[in-house]
Amino acid sequence: MATAEGLDPVAAETRSRAPRLAVLPLLLLSEIVVFSLIGTNFFTMANAYEILRLSVEIGLLAVALTPVITTGGIDLSVGSLMGLSAVVFGKLWRDMGAPIPVAIAGTLGCGAVAGSINGVLITRGKIPPLIVTLGTYSLARGLAEGLTGGVDNFTHFPPSFLALGQGYLAWGAPTQAPLFAVVAILFWMLLHRMAIGRGLSAIGYSAEGARHAGLPVERWVALVYILSGLTASLAAVVYASRLGQAKADAGTGYELAAITAVVLGGTSIFGGRGSVHGTLLGLFAIVILQIGPRLADLPAELAGVATGVILLVAIGLDRRQPAGPRPQFPLSQSETLVVKNSQVAVICGAILAAAAINLAGNAYLARALVRERAQAPPGSTEGSPRAALREHPPLTIAMMPKSKGNAYFIACRKGAEEAAAELGVTLLWDGPTDPDPAKQNEVVDAWITRGVDVIAVAVENREGVSSVLRKARERGIKVITWDADADPDARDFFVNQATPEGIGRALMDNAARILGGKGSFAIITASLTAGNMIAWQKCIEARRSEKYPNITMASLRPCDDLQKKAFDETTTVLNSNPAVKLFMAICSPAVPGAAEAVKQSGRTDVKVIGIGLPNDSKRYVHEGITDCVVLWNTRDLGYLTVQAAVGLARGDLKPGAVRYSAGRLGELRIEGTDILLGQPYLFTKDNIDQFDF
Amino acid sequence: MNSPAAESPWGRLIAVIGARRRELSVLLAYVVLLIVLAVTAPRFFRADPIRALLVSNSSVLVAAVGMTMVILCRQIDISIGSLFSVCGVTAGLLARMGLPMPLVALGTLAAGAILGAINGLFVAGLRLPSIVATLATMVVLRESLRYAREGEFVRDLPSSFQWFGQGQALGQSAVVAIAAAVFVVFAWSLANVTLGRAVLAVGSDPEAARLAGIPPRGVVFGVFTLMGLLAGLAALLNAIRFADVDPGSGGGLELQVIAAVVVGGTAVTGGRGSLIGTLIGVALLGSIGPALVFLDAKPQWEKAVQGLIILAAVATDALDRQER
Amino acid sequence: MLLELRDITKSFGGARVLKGVSFDLRVGEIHALVGENGAGKSTLIKVITGAHAPDEGRLAVSGQVVDVMSPTRARELGIAAIYQQPALFPDLTVAENIAIGLEPGSVFRRIRWNDRAVRARRLLDRVGARIDVEAPVRTLSMPQQQLVEIARALGAEARILIMDEPTASLSDQEVDLLFQVILDLKADGVGVIYISHRLEELPRVADRVTALRDGAVVGTRPMVGTSRGELIRMMVGRELQAVFPKTTVAAGEIVLETRGLSCARSGVREVDLVVRAGEIVGLSGLVGAGRTELARVLFGLTPADRGELLIRGRRVQIGSPGEAVRLGIAYVPEDRRRHGVILEMSCAANITLATLRRISRLGLLDFARERSIARDYVDRLSVKTPSLDAPVGHLSGGNQQKVALARWLVAEPSLLILDEPTQGVDVGAKAEIHRLMSTLVERGLAVLMISSELPEILGMSDRVVVMRSGRVMGVLDRADATQESIMELALGHVTTRTAS
Repeated sequence: MATAEGLDPVAAETRSRAPRLAVLPLLLLSEIVVFSLIGTNFFTMANAYEILRLSVEIGLLAVALTPVITTGGIDLSVGSLMGLSAVVFGKLWRDMGAPIPVAIAGTLGCGAVAGSINGVLITRGKIPPLIVTLGTYSLARGLAEGLTGGVDNFTHFPPSFLALGQGYLAWGAPTQAPLFAVVAILFWMLLHRMAIGRGLSAIGYSAEGARHAGLPVERWVALVYILSGLTASLAAVVYASRLGQAKADAGTGYELAAITAVVLGGTSIFGGRGSVHGTLLGLFAIVILQIGPRLADLPAELAGVATGVILLVAIGLDRRQPAGPRPQFPLSQSETLVVKNSQVAVICGAILAAAAINLAGNAYLARALVRERAQAPPGSTEGSPRAALREHPPLTIAMMPKSKGNAYFIACRKGAEEAAAELGVTLLWDGPTDPDPAKQNEVVDAWITRGVDVIAVAVENREGVSSVLRKARERGIKVITWDADADPDARDFFVNQATPEGIGRALMDNAARILGGKGSFAIITASLTAGNMIAWQKCIEARRSEKYPNITMASLRPCDDLQKKAFDETTTVLNSNPAVKLFMAICSPAVPGAAEAVKQSGRTDVKVIGIGLPNDSKRYVHEGITDCVVLWNTRDLGYLTVQAAVGLARGDLKPGAVRYSAGRLGELRIEGTDILLGQPYLFTKDNIDQFDF
Repeated sequence: MNSPAAESPWGRLIAVIGARRRELSVLLAYVVLLIVLAVTAPRFFRADPIRALLVSNSSVLVAAVGMTMVILCRQIDISIGSLFSVCGVTAGLLARMGLPMPLVALGTLAAGAILGAINGLFVAGLRLPSIVATLATMVVLRESLRYAREGEFVRDLPSSFQWFGQGQALGQSAVVAIAAAVFVVFAWSLANVTLGRAVLAVGSDPEAARLAGIPPRGVVFGVFTLMGLLAGLAALLNAIRFADVDPGSGGGLELQVIAAVVVGGTAVTGGRGSLIGTLIGVALLGSIGPALVFLDAKPQWEKAVQGLIILAAVATDALDRQER
Repeated sequence: MLLELRDITKSFGGARVLKGVSFDLRVGEIHALVGENGAGKSTLIKVITGAHAPDEGRLAVSGQVVDVMSPTRARELGIAAIYQQPALFPDLTVAENIAIGLEPGSVFRRIRWNDRAVRARRLLDRVGARIDVEAPVRTLSMPQQQLVEIARALGAEARILIMDEPTASLSDQEVDLLFQVILDLKADGVGVIYISHRLEELPRVADRVTALRDGAVVGTRPMVGTSRGELIRMMVGRELQAVFPKTTVAAGEIVLETRGLSCARSGVREVDLVVRAGEIVGLSGLVGAGRTELARVLFGLTPADRGELLIRGRRVQIGSPGEAVRLGIAYVPEDRRRHGVILEMSCAANITLATLRRISRLGLLDFARERSIARDYVDRLSVKTPSLDAPVGHLSGGNQQKVALARWLVAEPSLLILDEPTQGVDVGAKAEIHRLMSTLVERGLAVLMISSELPEILGMSDRVVVMRSGRVMGVLDRADATQESIMELALGHVTTRTAS
């Protein structure tokens, strides 16, 4: 008998939830306080709106995932479904000529259909959701890539559509905010105020129990997956309008971010308990954690690490025993959870302490920088006496590679730091951890909010990044592009290390030389969707069809930017098509990967060329497997970019200039708005040892 | 009392087929693929492609062996991709420090085991749901590694690193042999050794296991540690194939491995599955990529085909269940 | 003295479940342990088997004090237990289930499959179970699983054997065999702790009996000379009067009629059945006779594939529980904890779960209305709960069952199917549930009651339908129904088809 001696399960229940409900706002608050202290312009309305804008797509996925996870399910396919929906949207609008509203409706329909496929397989087929959506995760992305060949990119949407993702309402609120609010409220009503929400929770606790209560379990479970699919396609539409482009790679990796937000928000991954407002708190906690470090000039990787740690702490706290008595028998057949509060407390304490020490250290550094800046406010030449000693005020140059996990940019960074030290400017070096135009957008947005003097971007994707760069220019920030260009009106100058045409010509000409004017070759590329890869492939093909009709391109294989996969793909092509005598590896891990594969195959009649770092290829060049590698001096590229940025900010470099003196590089030519680094290098046996990058 | 069917030899066979029909249906799919290849692209069956297939899937198989046990225990580990990358880089850095190869191997395995044990602590010790805990460690490991290396290869490794300094032919055989040995030992142990059965028992019903004197948390911790160790071994087997170490080498490995295990018929609800099935799953998914190249398919459809195979495999599962 | 417990105390998060319990067991003794649900019996045996560590108190086995008890240590000391809910591994074979925990030695030891199969067959033969030892346990029925568990406990060759409700789902034949096995063990000097709600079976085996109430020992008596009434008084602190408050109501219109109803998947074969308003039809038969399966067919959980189903004379198809509910059918399932209620949800939410439409307006929940309905039924059924928001998992078995009942009473059904409504429910709650059934039929409800307790069937039913292997073997009127006549039909000795 549940004797009521001094126990109140209601209170116990509330207490057991108390940590979650208190911890999340507390976490959010402490994030805000910390970043307000150490970040620049963090605590501003404009930034709040930016946070909101960036939250929308992942937020849409997350609120729709909340009921799914509440039923004890999961939907891994939402990110891929965004990609598929974006492609469908683009196809409907551009290729089939549907007006935008019709295209949107069609896209939403496609999302609902995809969601219902998940739903049917899960309910009718009785297959675990994890597996079903793992399958549709591959399938949806695969279809998106298949339909577009990976390369097709839908752009030039009408301004009225772009306004949905880029515009502002009154008081500076982003246009998509009301849409998100409506969707979030609808899902909140669904889960917390409607009969079906109660049923979903019952299903999550015990699907059999819910079925025995006469609830239409199958129908309701299918419904949440349909809604999830529908919302994913809505997110894809918002994504397309925010970036001004629709492409097969939209939403890559978003499923994990969305799941993280939901779980952080207190929805139990085992089902039963879930809350949409918790999800929103979790969402903002994550987004702030992504934006905060950028405004505080901390490395972006910190955001990922901190998200992981916070996730562990949050679910650790959630696993706390309720304060009340335990039921007579374990609540479920599976293991009941016994975690001593003290254990959790010690671990959380340790983690928080570590985080605090880290943050404090960074805060001190950042503040020192801020103080330095404050002493010499930009734009005022007659500031403090110390500033007057200098010829120019210290500038802040923000420089972004395509992605941070790419060795190619390490040498660029070294060159940039060299120039920054030489010129006495502050260099911010940050970028997305994966090559993703949406993430590049977010970083630029953060810099606009933070306030920098010059933004220099290696553009991942012209259409996806140009609009945010225009916005930066509107705010009076100078913009330079380097490595890859944006739209000409979106930047002041482009530091042009080599045009795709130049690269394509160099590669193809060398290929023809090695092949002796006829034969076939294969290309190993990073991915079918990467913008620069596509540009190079086009130029290679253009050069081939123009000058070398006797040479054929036998195969094009993606290697996901992995040496291992490049190796495997090369080996497979070698085995399947012995006529291929040359491999053209056009991403940096692929060059050594392909060369190693050729070496291990023992085929001496096959050669490798490519675009890659000389250090990775030295060994193979000397062994005679890799004939040559095309690349510019990446260190000089970084150096020149900072030189040009500083010149632009100080007024030494003006539009219309035809020459620019860039420190140790001497006088460089400017063509239009392109600052030319010079011709790409051809690294061969004879010269490769002279370089170290 | 035995069912009458089990008494005749044919009945036995039917019973075995019945119990193994999941594995057999995947095997059948694989055989069909091989037949298609035999007809349209007989080159596939030459020594070189087969050797390449074996060597390249050896490390996947080793990781999948660990993942099978994790899933059998009703858990999942999505951090193994990051863990694989970290272990690969560890191997490279240790080798560059000039340590002899046996120590490098030991250090890599230890690194894997320690990271696996951390996952085990979170899941078994603190009882966090494994999908969330390993999601967190995945992100933390990946971002930390990215911060540390920025994607730069570990270069200038001693000549004793590649193929353990034994040359390509011997090295390739060694890689395949090690993976095969790991597979055989674990497959046999899982079926015939008390400890292996304990893994299945815990996956089947943790509370019953506890009452039977098997510590479920100990087993789960052990399995995660083993997963880490095997991911370390897989990383090592992968790293020594190359002259440099790519810090991104584990990207996407977790989904590849989970898909192989699931296609091989291991139930994500735990307790049911076999390593034989996993082997077939690895073989099937590992052959699809090369097979499509041999069949001259467009690369952009590859992911769609993979997704279809996963869905088809699980759909047969569902049909099978509804028939009974 | 084989086992000695002194002043055992155990609390769960502030609630004292055992309050200084002392208990002993002699060599070759069968010691019965009785008490209402929640009296602490299960906790006490978990303390003995090391599944729970006591807060205070001393535990001695064969005179040796055991400081730290764990399942492993308990096994070494020769303690084996059969738990109320079979603690088996559904994915492993019968042979392996029996072997796990029985084979000592290193964890790296190779398993001898043949030995396992031989041993499993030997042990199962001892309890008279005809079960394929190579079959996965999940394919077995509940009573078969219970037999496997008993076989496993026998295999442990324990000196102390604990049995928690071993006969709950066994047929009388199997119970007889089990008692023979227990008496054999006793002759070998094994001490048995025997827990059962079926007080009538205790005199057949037990030497002594100890009653627990609210976590404390009320008394220990020799079984001989202790009456059933005395036992009940010790358990509940009061004597129960009329055990079956049966009232006879004039039967009204036919609510449910089936003609040749079959479901191949669940083994229900050509069932003809009539249930009228105002009557309780008892559905009897041995376990595995297809009674629960029939109920599941009627409730649309496993839809029928042949035959006719008429509700109030109208032909209907019931393809899902939802349709059954719309037709006025309610089903209180046998497995209360998995199907009857949702343990983690509050009383209020559980009570209104089948009638969400009624408490919502325009799809939005009306929380005030929900609470008033829940309050009403909690009072009417005198559910003992600290609050409407308390999770049902915190309540005792009897109160959980009342919540499960309340859920369906809110739906105001015309046919109520009760599957083992009082299994695992303590004596007090049992009587209350029986009284409630009588009240319901007085109000014109039709009740179809499945029960394995013959006294309950005889005491409550207006008519008794007896099933065997998915078929109806016969229908007995209240006047004709006796334990013997029902058993004859259930065992398939005679077939009568009395007009209904």
